[in-house]
Amino acid sequence: MSRPAPRRRVAAVLLATAALALAACSAPGSNDSSAPKTKAPSEVSTDVAKAGKVTLRVWDQEVRGGQNAQMTKLNQQFMDAYPNVTIKRTSKSFTDLKTTLKLALSGDTAPDVVEVNQGYPDMVSFVKAGYLQPLDSYASVYKWADRYPSSLLDLNRVSDDASHFGEGKLYGLSQMGEFVGVYYNKTKLKQLGIAPPTTWDEFTTALAKAKQGGQVPIQFGNLDKWPAIHTFGVIQDQLAGKDEVRNLVFGKGGASWTDPKTVEAAKTLQDWAKRGYFPSGVNGVGYDDSTKQFGQGKGVFLVTGTWAAADLKGPMGDALGMMPPPSASGSDPVTTGGQSLALGVTSKSAHPDVAAAYVNFMTDAKAAGVMQDTGNLPAVPATDAASQASGVDADILDGWSSLNQDNGLVPYLDYSTPTFYDTLTAALQRLIGGQDSPEEFAKTLQADYEKFQQG
Amino acid sequence: MAWEAAARVRNRYRRRSPGEPRAVGYLYLLPALAVFVLLVLVPLGQSVWYSLFDWDGLTPATWAGLSNYTGLVTDPTLRAPFVHALVLLVFYALVPIAIGLLLAAAMSRVRVHGLTFFRTVLFLPQVLAMVVVAVAWRWIYAPDGVLNQVLRLVGLDGLTRSWLGDFTLALPAVGVAGTWVGFGLCMVLFLAGVQTIPRELYEAARLDGAGAWQEFRAVTLPALRPQVAVAATLTIVAGLRNFDLIYLTTSGGPGNSTAVPAYEVYHRAFETNQVGSAAAVGIALTALIFVLTVTVSRLVEGRER
Amino acid sequence: MITSRRDRVLTYAVLLVFTVLALVPVLQVLSAALSSPGAAGPGLRLPDGLHLENFADAWTRGQFGQYLRSSVLVSVAVVVTAAVLSTLAAYAFGTMRFPGATVLFYLFVLGLTIPEEAVVIPLYYDFRGVGLLDTYWALVLPQVAQSVAFGTFWMRTYFAGSSQALIEAARCDGATSWGVLWRVLVPSGRPAITTMLVITFMWTWNEFLLALVMVTSDSRRTVPLGLAFFQGQHSSDTALLAAGAVLVATPVVLVYLFFQRRFVEGMLSGAIKE
Repeated sequence: MSRPAPRRRVAAVLLATAALALAACSAPGSNDSSAPKTKAPSEVSTDVAKAGKVTLRVWDQEVRGGQNAQMTKLNQQFMDAYPNVTIKRTSKSFTDLKTTLKLALSGDTAPDVVEVNQGYPDMVSFVKAGYLQPLDSYASVYKWADRYPSSLLDLNRVSDDASHFGEGKLYGLSQMGEFVGVYYNKTKLKQLGIAPPTTWDEFTTALAKAKQGGQVPIQFGNLDKWPAIHTFGVIQDQLAGKDEVRNLVFGKGGASWTDPKTVEAAKTLQDWAKRGYFPSGVNGVGYDDSTKQFGQGKGVFLVTGTWAAADLKGPMGDALGMMPPPSASGSDPVTTGGQSLALGVTSKSAHPDVAAAYVNFMTDAKAAGVMQDTGNLPAVPATDAASQASGVDADILDGWSSLNQDNGLVPYLDYSTPTFYDTLTAALQRLIGGQDSPEEFAKTLQADYEKFQQG
Repeated sequence: MAWEAAARVRNRYRRRSPGEPRAVGYLYLLPALAVFVLLVLVPLGQSVWYSLFDWDGLTPATWAGLSNYTGLVTDPTLRAPFVHALVLLVFYALVPIAIGLLLAAAMSRVRVHGLTFFRTVLFLPQVLAMVVVAVAWRWIYAPDGVLNQVLRLVGLDGLTRSWLGDFTLALPAVGVAGTWVGFGLCMVLFLAGVQTIPRELYEAARLDGAGAWQEFRAVTLPALRPQVAVAATLTIVAGLRNFDLIYLTTSGGPGNSTAVPAYEVYHRAFETNQVGSAAAVGIALTALIFVLTVTVSRLVEGRER
Repeated sequence: MITSRRDRVLTYAVLLVFTVLALVPVLQVLSAALSSPGAAGPGLRLPDGLHLENFADAWTRGQFGQYLRSSVLVSVAVVVTAAVLSTLAAYAFGTMRFPGATVLFYLFVLGLTIPEEAVVIPLYYDFRGVGLLDTYWALVLPQVAQSVAFGTFWMRTYFAGSSQALIEAARCDGATSWGVLWRVLVPSGRPAITTMLVITFMWTWNEFLLALVMVTSDSRRTVPLGLAFFQGQHSSDTALLAAGAVLVATPVVLVYLFFQRRFVEGMLSGAIKE
C-alpha cells in the first residue's frame, strides 16, 4: 500500500489546521485599540427634538417594584416630551446585568445608555477598553456640577490612564442615593420589649435578646453572593472606621485587609452566624426571598440598602422602620453606600447627544420628584422632601441627609480590585458557612488586594 | 461507539470498495467540511493559541508560555473545579448506570405491562432544557422545598437545610439533579440490550437454581457490557460539558464549592477578564474528555477480545 | 416465562419508585404554573385551581412570545442547514471511495467529543471581529457546525447500510449521483433523517452557553436565556417562573412524545453531543 497510515494522516491534517489557525492571528487583542471619540462642549447639541427619529437602547437593573416604577414613568415622560425618540429598555437583575454587560458593550450593537457599577471590576475596566464615553463636555453644558455634590460625581470618575477611580473624567451620573441601613420591625421590637437601638452596643444586645425571644434576629439571604458584602461592610465600618475602609477601597496605601479591626469585623460576622442570628442556611436563600420573608414578619432586623424600602412598605406599612447602622458613639453614623449604578453613555452609541440628554433628564430635579413619589431615594432630594414624607421614607431621607452632612458614606467594598467582587463574595460565603476562619478570610482578601496593588 | 464505528469504517474500505473512486465525493463533502473546519477546528486551534497568553480580553495580550497550564495544577482555585468535575461524574455517570442496570434487570425478569409508559416517563428528563431542570431543582432544594417537606414528613427535621447553600452538600445536590437527568437514558439503553439476550440463557440459569442476583451477574451484566460502555461515554461527555446546570443553580457557590471547568471557562473569559486562563481550562477539559472516552472504549475492546 | 409473584411485585415497586422520582420535579413545576400567584411556592402541592392567566402573563411580561420567535427561527435555520450539509457529506462518506475519506471521517468523529467550552471563546472574538456578534448568524453558524458532526456520523451509517443493488440499478437507468441521492436514497431514508432532525432540534432549542455569549439583544434572545434572566428578575414570583418554564419545555416535549422512537434511537446511537 502506498498510502500513508491513517494515523499519520490524521496528525498531518490536524497540524495543517492548527497552523492555519495560528497563522491567521497574531497575539490576541493587539488590533483592537479604539479610543472613544469625544466632543467639545461647543459641539454638543442639547436639542433632542432636532435629532430626528432615534431609538435609544437602555440597559438597567431597576427590576424591583419602586425602582422599576420610576424608570417606566420617566422613560414615558421622556418619550412624551420628545416623540421622535423611542426608548427600548432592557432590564435585568443586578447579577445578570453584571455578567452580560461586558459582552454587550464589546459588540457592534451595544446599547446607548447603560447602568454601570462603579469601581475597578466594571467601570474602570470598561473605560480601559474604551467602551464608555467621557461626559465632561455634557457636564459643563448641562451644569451637572451644580446639580450634584462633588463627592457623588467623583465616584463616577476614572483617571485618564484608567488606573484608578475617584478622579479624572466623568463617565456617568447616578439617579439615586443609597445606603445600607438597618430595617426593623416595630411590632416585633415592641413584643420583645426592645427600643430601637441607638448605639452599636445596643444593637448587638438587641440581637441577643431577639434570639432569646425565639425570633430571627437578622433576616438574611446570601445565595446571590453580594448581600453579604453589605452586611460585612456595615460591621467593618463600625469596627474599623471610615478612614481605614476608604483607604482600603481607594487603594491609598497604609491599610491592609489583615489589620486587626477588619479581622475582628469578620469574627463578628461569623460569630453572628454561629449564634444563629441569621436564619439557617443563609447561603442557600435568595436575596429576594429573604426580603419577602422580612416583609411577612419573619425577622426583627434586616441589614440592606435603601432600595428595599419600596417593596417592604407594602406588606409592612407602619411597622417598618429604617436607620443608618447605629454607630459606636451613637452619633456620626457611618455605613456602606453612595449612589446607584451610574447611567453612562457607550462609545458605540450613534446618538451620544440624545443619550446624554436622556441621562440629564433622568437625574434632574423633576426626575427626583418622580423617584420620591415612587418610594425611592433620589441622590439629591428636594430640600423640603423630608417634611413631605412620612414613615420609612422620612426615616431614609433623614438618614441620607445626616450621612451626607457627617461625611459618613463609605464606598462598596467590591470596588477595590478588578477581581474583588468574586474574591470577596466567595470568601464571605465561606466565612459565614464556617469554612474559613476570620484570619483565613482576611488573608484571602489581602492576597487578591496585593496582587492588584503590585501589578 | 464513535471509535469502534470509525474502526469499522476503516475496515470496510480495506475489504471492499463500494463503487469506483469518485472525485465528486469531495464536492459533496465540501460544504459540511468547510463549516466544520471554520467553526469548530479553527476555533479549537485559536483556543490553544489564546491559552498561551495572558490576556484580559480588552488590551493587547502578553506571551505567557505554558504558565496558564501550570496554573491548572498549582492554583487551588483552578485545581478544585477539576476535582469537583470528577466527583460529579460519580453522580452524572456511575449512579445513573447503576440505577439503569437495576431497572433493566427488574424488567428483564418480568413481562411488564405498560412498558411504553414507563419508558416514556423515565426518559423524559433527558429532553428537558437544563434551564427548566435548574428551575425545578432549585425549588426542590429550597428551604421550604419538596426535599425538606419530605424530611419533615418523616420526622427527620434535623436534616433539613438549604441544600444549595451547604458547603459539603451543594456539590452532591447538583450531582443528584444530574443523576435525575441521566438515569432514564441508561435504562432505555440497557433495556434495548436486555431484549437481545436469548431467553434460554435465563431459563438455563433458573434451572441451575440461580436467584435474581446470580442471574444478573451471570447473564445480564456480561451481555450488557457494550451498552454500559456507550452509556458511560454518553454520560461522561455530557457531564463534563455541563455548564448550564451549575451556572443556573449555584454559579459555583457557596464559596467555590461547586465550580466546574465548564463554568470556569465562561466565568474567567467573560466575567473576570482572564481569557488566556479560560482558554487553557477549555483545552484541558477537551483533553480530559478525550482521554476518558478513549479509556472507556479501550476497556471494553480489551474485555471483548 | 415463569415468574414468581414476589418478582412481579418487586419489579413494579422498583419501577414505580423511579417513575415517581422522575415525575416529582416535573409535577412540582406544572402545579406551580397552574396555581394562583399567591399560593404558588416551592414544594409539592395541588394547584388551587386552573390559573391559566399565568401563561398569558409570562407571555407578555416575560416577553416569551418574542423569545419563542427567536428560538423557532434559529432552530429551523440550524436544523435545515445542518440536515442538508450532513446528508451531502454522509452520502460521500457512505457510498463513495476517494482518497482521504477515512481521515476526513475521523475528523468529524473527533468533532463529536469537542466540547463547546473549548471553542466558544475564539468564536466570540471571531464573530466580533467580523461584526456578526448579536446577530442570528452568531447563533446559527456555530450550531450548524456542531450539528454537522453528529449528522454526518449518523447519516453515514444509513447510507453505508443502504442497498448497493438499488444504487447500481438507479445508475444503470442513467441517474447521476445527485439524482440517486435525492430520488432514491433520501425518500427511503426518511426514518433516519427524521431522527437526525429531531435530535438536532432538541439540541438547538435547549442550547444555553452560545445563546448566552453570542447574543445580547432582547429581541434576538432564545427561550432558555429568556427563562434564565426571568428567573433573576422574578425569583420570588413562583407561579410566573413556573409558567415560563413550562413554555420553554413544551415544544421539545411534544416533539419527544410524537417521535419517541426516533428520539431514543438517535440519542443512543453514539450521539456524543450532550
